[in-house]
Order: sequence, then structure tokens, then C-alpha cells
Amino acid sequence: MLIELKNIIKNYDNGGVITRVLQNINLEVDKGEFIAIMGPSGSGKSTLMHTIGFLDRPTSGDYFFDGENTKDFTDDELAKIRNEQVGFVFQSFNLLPRTTVFDNVMLPLLYSENKEGHDRRVKDALESVDLGERMSFMSNQISGGQKQRVAIARALVCDPKVIFADEPTGNLDSKSGGTVMHILDELNKEGRTIILVTHDINVARHAKRIVAIRDGEIVKDEKVAESERMHSKRSED
Amino acid sequence: MNNLYLKQAIRGIKSNPSRTILTTLGIMIGIGTVILVLSAGEGFKSYINAQVEAFGSNSIIIQTSVPASTKARSSSGIGSNEPQSSANNAVPITTLKVRDVEDIKNVSNVKNSYGASVGQQTVTYKNVSKSSFIFGASAARFDIDKGVIANGRGFVDQEDKALAQVAVLGNKIATDLFGNEDPLNKFVRIGNYNFQVIGVYEPTGSLDPTNDGSEIVIPVTTLQKKIQGIDYLIYIVAELQDNSKADATALDIIDVLRRNHYITDPVKDDFKVQTQQESLATFETILKAITFLLIAIASISLIVGGVGVMNIMYVIVTERIGEIGLKKALGARNRDILYEFLIEAILLTIIGGVIGIMGGAFFAFIVSKIAQGYGLDWAFIVPPWGVAISVSVSAIIGIIFGVFPAQNAAHLNPIDALNKE
Repeated sequence: MLIELKNIIKNYDNGGVITRVLQNINLEVDKGEFIAIMGPSGSGKSTLMHTIGFLDRPTSGDYFFDGENTKDFTDDELAKIRNEQVGFVFQSFNLLPRTTVFDNVMLPLLYSENKEGHDRRVKDALESVDLGERMSFMSNQISGGQKQRVAIARALVCDPKVIFADEPTGNLDSKSGGTVMHILDELNKEGRTIILVTHDINVARHAKRIVAIRDGEIVKDEKVAESERMHSKRSED
Repeated sequence: MNNLYLKQAIRGIKSNPSRTILTTLGIMIGIGTVILVLSAGEGFKSYINAQVEAFGSNSIIIQTSVPASTKARSSSGIGSNEPQSSANNAVPITTLKVRDVEDIKNVSNVKNSYGASVGQQTVTYKNVSKSSFIFGASAARFDIDKGVIANGRGFVDQEDKALAQVAVLGNKIATDLFGNEDPLNKFVRIGNYNFQVIGVYEPTGSLDPTNDGSEIVIPVTTLQKKIQGIDYLIYIVAELQDNSKADATALDIIDVLRRNHYITDPVKDDFKVQTQQESLATFETILKAITFLLIAIASISLIVGGVGVMNIMYVIVTERIGEIGLKKALGARNRDILYEFLIEAILLTIIGGVIGIMGGAFFAFIVSKIAQGYGLDWAFIVPPWGVAISVSVSAIIGIIFGVFPAQNAAHLNPIDALNKE
């Protein structure tokens, strides 16, 4: 068991008005799973991913990661988990402007306690997303699809247990989106756990399991039959 | 690790160079002023040192002085109990005599000595008249004083004793009176007497009206007897053999004068003995006070500059809020973010400080050139300790005014920061 959520509640306090975004979420994720979290906007799917990804703390409930309850972790401990155990891919890529592709991928390593072989790891990560030739380009000199692949390389560079992807194809044309999904498929085949947030059923069908959420509650949690899975090609039309 | 913070900070500063310059303007002006004040102070000190050298750096000056006891009585205790020069006082002290000069010459470690009186007189040559300081001095002045006679000679003891009407002119009064004419052996009228010009001094490079080339030196006895109608001296200069024993020699001179003036109570001293070190020390105390005051004023600009930096740092934190969120999502700890912004703030203030140092030094250089243009011995010195302190102060301002914005950034919730972009 990699991830275990028990009775997770998340409230937002907007000047005294309390909005309950996540209501009593219970979820278990095994190593090597590929999960798509689906739901309409405002359903709480992003908040759920941010909570699982340690970007936000739950209001109450227990979150076990790799067997450890993370409820009372300090800010520094959470930073260490974000650095070493999880990788993020965002819809809008979030690359540093005026910075090379290489330095963007280097960024998580700069905050890492491991000081060894940084350059090699950055190169390996970029080669794994077919961007070995673009390392010295500035982040604004490459296409959207390439930007998202840089973001994936950045998520991979610290060799995390889980990759979180928040609408990773949302800002991409279908061809580039296909390439990105193909990379995520391959990473999962290599044994990496992937948790994907999307509202696009075609994207979600790459996953092995779909969790549907509505009004802060899990309303459906089922495996995708192998026959229904979208098997991506290198580029999808 | 430190390299990372520096790299991020430099990237931040490079992203908006013109804003960086404007932000640090206050720091620049503050530090620039500090450097200008320090440098001009050093320059002024070099000028004063040169002046003291001109007097003879290994000398002791004995001046008449109103006794502290008299002063206390007449001014009902207001003011300090330091003896005051009688030159500024309505009651002249008449006790300093040629005999004192002779006795001071016999004090051990005293190489030579001369007595002097001073007056102001109208000096006339043909139809040109000038008001001038007239220094009456014994002939030893020409051995002790560093002033160089460029043309002609000084007078000798016999001329002094004989009340000879001879004069040595400063270069400026010589030009004022004679123009292109050679003054040597011509006669000028001082008071009711004609004096023969026997020498002209070289230019002195001084602003002091008693030593700027507009003064005239005549035998002291001639001044006393023929012009002033007095028999006392205003001051005595004693040249020392060994300057390191100046303090002990000063005490010996005090003993001699007290004996000659029948003084047993030091409060009733009617003279003041000052070594050159003491004169310099007095001057440096005054200079330090002025420097301190000016730096205090300049530091207002530093504080205003610091607040400007703080203001911009808050703006920068807001601008980069998405970046902060991203870095936190990738594993940056609170202190990583804190250090990045703190180092950026310090870098900003140090850039301002360094530009300020260069600007201040530039203006100090111009001041020194202007002073030298007036013929003053004014050196251009930027004290290295001043530079070191300025850089440190800039960095400290960066820390003080950067820490609040940086803390703001460090404690942002990662997802709030990411979403606010």
C-alpha cells in the first residue's frame, strides 16, 4: 500500500463562510497503479490531488504515505517528501521563464539533499522524454508539447514513487497530448505510480482505474477493463 | 547550495535591471554621501597636516591666555574652564616677554625658539594700499618656519635688535602691491614707517589668512616699539630636537613660564602650551564630530533607501508568487525561499552600495581637484575602512529590510501560491 486516505476532510474558510470541499474521503492506492480522478469543475478533484500530493494539508483525517501517517509532518518534512517521493506535472507546465530547459529540470535537484551526479540525472531525464537535444534552449523557445515533456522530465529527475499530473494535456493539441499520455503510459509500465486529474474521458481511459468525484465525495471507483483502455501510440490522432 | 540562492537572486535582479537601479537609488545616495563625507574629511585632514608641517611639525606653540580664574569671575562660570586665547579677549595679557623666549631656548630638547607679535596694518606701495597681517618675529623664525623665501633673504638678529625697517612679503601681497615689478629693495609704507623689502615667500598652498601669502613678516622688536608701542609677545614657537619627548618638554616650558610669571596656582596660568600633536588631536576631535553629524544625516537616506528596497521586495514576492509555489511543489523548504529572497535583497542593497561608493569617490575626487585648483595641499583619499563599512552597512540594510518580505514568501502555502499565479 503506497497511499491510504482515511476520513479526509478539507474545508475552506472564506471570511467565516466555511465551504466543505472534501467530505470524508477514503482511498487506497497501491504501488504501480495508474489512477484517473474525474469529475466536473468544482467537484474537488484538484483539491484531492493537491492533498494527496502534499501541496495542501487536510483539515482532518489521516493520510498514510508508504506506511507513515503524515498528519503531523512539519513543513520541512513535507518539503522533503515533495522533493523525493512525488513529482508534479501541471496543466500550464509552470517552467521558470528566462531559464534553460536544463536548469528547469535541475531545479528540484537543487533542493535535494542528494548532491551527487546532478548533471547526469538531468540529462537522463531529458533523454527519457526525447529532449536530449533541447537542453540548452530557453524555456520560452520550445513548443507547448515540448514544455510539458520538460515538466515531466523535471517530475522524474528525483526518481519519485508517484507522479501527479493535473490536466497534463489541457493546454496541448491532440498530437502533443498523445505524446504526453504515451510517456505517462510508458512510465506506468516501468512500475511508476501515476495519479492523473482530468475531466476528459479519453485521457482518463489511459488509466487502469477511474475514481469519480462529485461534491467532494467519491461517487464511483472502478477498474477499467483492459479491453476498454486506450492504448496510446507514440503519437495519437 | 549557496550558489543556488545566488543564482536565483541574480536571475531575479536581471529580470528588471532598470527597476533594480531605481530601487537602490536611496542606498546609492546614502552610501555615496557617506563616502564623500569620509573622503573629503580625509582630504581635509591631509590639508591640515600639511599646514601643521608648514608650522614645523616638531614644534610647541606657547600662546597668551586669559587665566581660568579671571574668566570664571568675569563670566560667572559660564563656559568651559579651558584657558582662552587673549587674542579673542578685550583684556590683553602682557606678561609674555622676550626673556621668556631666551629661557625657553635653554630648556633641554628645545633646539630653537622665536617670539612673535601680530598686528593688522595698511600697507602702501606707490598708490596701492592693502590691509595685511603683520607678523613681528625674531630672526629664528626663518630657521624654524617651513616657509621658503623664493626671492631675497630673511632678516637677522642684529636687524631685529637694531629695530631695522625691513620686511619679508608673502607672495600674494607682493603681487598685489608690485604687480610685475620686482619688490626686492623697494620700500613699502607700514603705519608711519617705510620698510625695505628684503625677501618674498614662495606660495604656501593655504587658505589660512595668516599664512596664505597675504602676510608680511618684520622684526618683532620693530613691530613692538615702532608700530604697536608694546613690549610683550602674543606667541612663542619652540622647535624641538626630539618630537617624541614633546609632552615632557611642554611640561618643562610650563615650569619655566610659571617661574618667570610668578605663578604658583595652575588656574592662574596666563599662557597656553600646545604641542603639535595636541593641536592635531583637537582638530581631529572637531573633524570627527562634523563627520559623525554628516553621516547621521546621510543615514536618514540609508533608512529611506532601505524602506524602498523593502517595498520593492514585497512587490517582487507578489510578482513571483507562482514561482514560489512551484519551487515549494518541487521540494523547496521555507528557508530555501527565505534565503533566496534575502540574498536578492542583500544583492540589491550591495549593488546600490557599490554604485554609491563609486559616485561618492567620484565627487570626492572632484572636490579634491577643486581644492587643488585653489592651490591647497588636498589629497584624494577614499579610506578603505570606509568602503568596507559601507558595503557591510548596505548588506545589513538588505537583511533588515529584506527579512519581512522574504518571510512572507517563505511561509506561503504551496498550493495557494501556485493558484494565485
